[in-house]
Amino acid sequence: MIIETENLVKAYQNKVAVNSINLSVEKGQIYGFLGPNGAGKSTTIKMLTGLVFPSSGKGQVLDRPLGDVQARAKLGYLPEHFRYQEWMTGEDLLNFHTSLYRLKRDPERNRNVLRRVGLLEQGNYKVGGYSKGMQQRIGLACALLPGPDLLFLDEPTSALDPIGRKDVRDIILDLQKEGTTIFLNSHLLSEVEAVCDHIAIINKGVIVKSGSMKDLLMGKVTLSIRCSPITEDIYHRIKERFDSTAAPQLEDGSIFMTLKTREEIPEIAALLTAGGIKLYELTPQHETLESVFLKVVGEEETS
Amino acid sequence: MIPIASAAWKEAVRKKTFIVMSIVTVLYLVLWAILLYYFQNLGPGSKNESFRALAEVMVSQMGLQFSSMLMCLLTIILGAGTIASELESGMVHAILSRPLGRTEYVLGKTLGLAALTALYTTALYTALLLISGAFALSTITTLTFVQILEGWILYLLVPLCVLCLTIFGSVSLKVVPNGLLMIFIYLLGNLGGMVEMIGNYLNSRSVVSSGIFISLISPFHTLYTAAERALLPSSGLAGEMMRGMGGLTGGGRPASTVMYVYIALYSIGFLALAIRKFGRIDIN
Repeated sequence: MIIETENLVKAYQNKVAVNSINLSVEKGQIYGFLGPNGAGKSTTIKMLTGLVFPSSGKGQVLDRPLGDVQARAKLGYLPEHFRYQEWMTGEDLLNFHTSLYRLKRDPERNRNVLRRVGLLEQGNYKVGGYSKGMQQRIGLACALLPGPDLLFLDEPTSALDPIGRKDVRDIILDLQKEGTTIFLNSHLLSEVEAVCDHIAIINKGVIVKSGSMKDLLMGKVTLSIRCSPITEDIYHRIKERFDSTAAPQLEDGSIFMTLKTREEIPEIAALLTAGGIKLYELTPQHETLESVFLKVVGEEETS
Repeated sequence: MIPIASAAWKEAVRKKTFIVMSIVTVLYLVLWAILLYYFQNLGPGSKNESFRALAEVMVSQMGLQFSSMLMCLLTIILGAGTIASELESGMVHAILSRPLGRTEYVLGKTLGLAALTALYTTALYTALLLISGAFALSTITTLTFVQILEGWILYLLVPLCVLCLTIFGSVSLKVVPNGLLMIFIYLLGNLGGMVEMIGNYLNSRSVVSSGIFISLISPFHTLYTAAERALLPSSGLAGEMMRGMGGLTGGGRPASTVMYVYIALYSIGFLALAIRKFGRIDIN
């Protein structure tokens, strides 16, 4: 495991920011870490990067205990609230972070990371003159300097325009191909859905849902049907066999139900047609990350 | 540690406050030269002749004291925000997530500013001596090399001692409160010497003790006085009259070895406390 934590807790005086976090991130994964504002996402990332000390629990990052300085040699981190020395040029900043990583200066490496984040032409400009988006890009370039095995990205596209967001998505996918593990914290659920293969949702400091993206989104299927009026008997058979919570047919002929697997779709179609029902529309709707997120966080809020 | 020291140096030099302080320093040296020019032109046999010995000490002390104050203010201005501002702005996140220990970070910041302070102090001290020599100020022209060296080392230690305390403040407080507190503590040292002197004149042990206590909180003036003594040892009554305050011992007597040991422990202690505190705080 690249990241492994066991009952990680961070408490501040009267408030528990993060409670019993258990994470297992495998090498090469793009791990999405989601949650509403104040859920404990950044606190968790800061504990993993050694900026914040856990109150209890333990963990390992790159096979070293949390906070270990040596582990950070192959760890990249783009903070949420990025701020860099404005008096330095982009090149100066890269050279500064190169020395912090204890690497030898290499103009070729600088050019490569600048090219990757789309700042090759602006490397000689002062960071203070960069737009917010450019500052976020140069921050990403700094994080890429050591050729990281593990990259933490905390809201990496918060200051970027749609093109910049796509660029970052492409960078993330390219890095994964190169074997980099990425821990992504983002509010943009569509972005997470596009790149992550595993996610964890945190709310009020507790992980309320985690799993592979495939399992989370493909687990249940919402089915929308429009057909001629169904009989009482068929309605009861649908409730018995497929979805006990299915609501009665609407006036426009619509029926909505949630299925356990996609395999049940042809069975429903067969049941309806065998009963002489005219089937006009049958649309399976997969859950989106947004619907999963809203459901999970919403349930938590209600409870 | 070296990259942090180098960045701290470069950042400090680029700060507007440093540029302003440099301009103030140049203006001060020009004024000092003008003052010495008029002082030199007080012809022999004039009615001011009898006052000349005292005046030379006064002028020398004025020059030394004001330049020491400039050094310490510059140190406080640069040091107050060196860590606090990076904590406040979040700049420290990207730095401390690199393979860099927190101790290295604090020591790097201290080293960078100490080097800059030392250079500034040396430049100011040299300029002060050269200008004084050029205008034949006898208190300065009669100095031996050893005296100059001793004075320089002691002179250098004053802002370095202030820096150690300021660094501790920088990991504990925000920029402005730290700056204000450091200026207050620095000025308190001058007050301590004065209180002690008054206690000596009044022959009041409690007042003397209060002065000593203040000097323990703020021992910078004691160090400055030692530097002044190294440079103006033979100023006799005039010197004693002007010196007034003598740090821990007061009453114009030099500070004891115990006081020097205390000052060393004070400086190292605050730096160690800064490292310890910074090593334990959460960087949110």
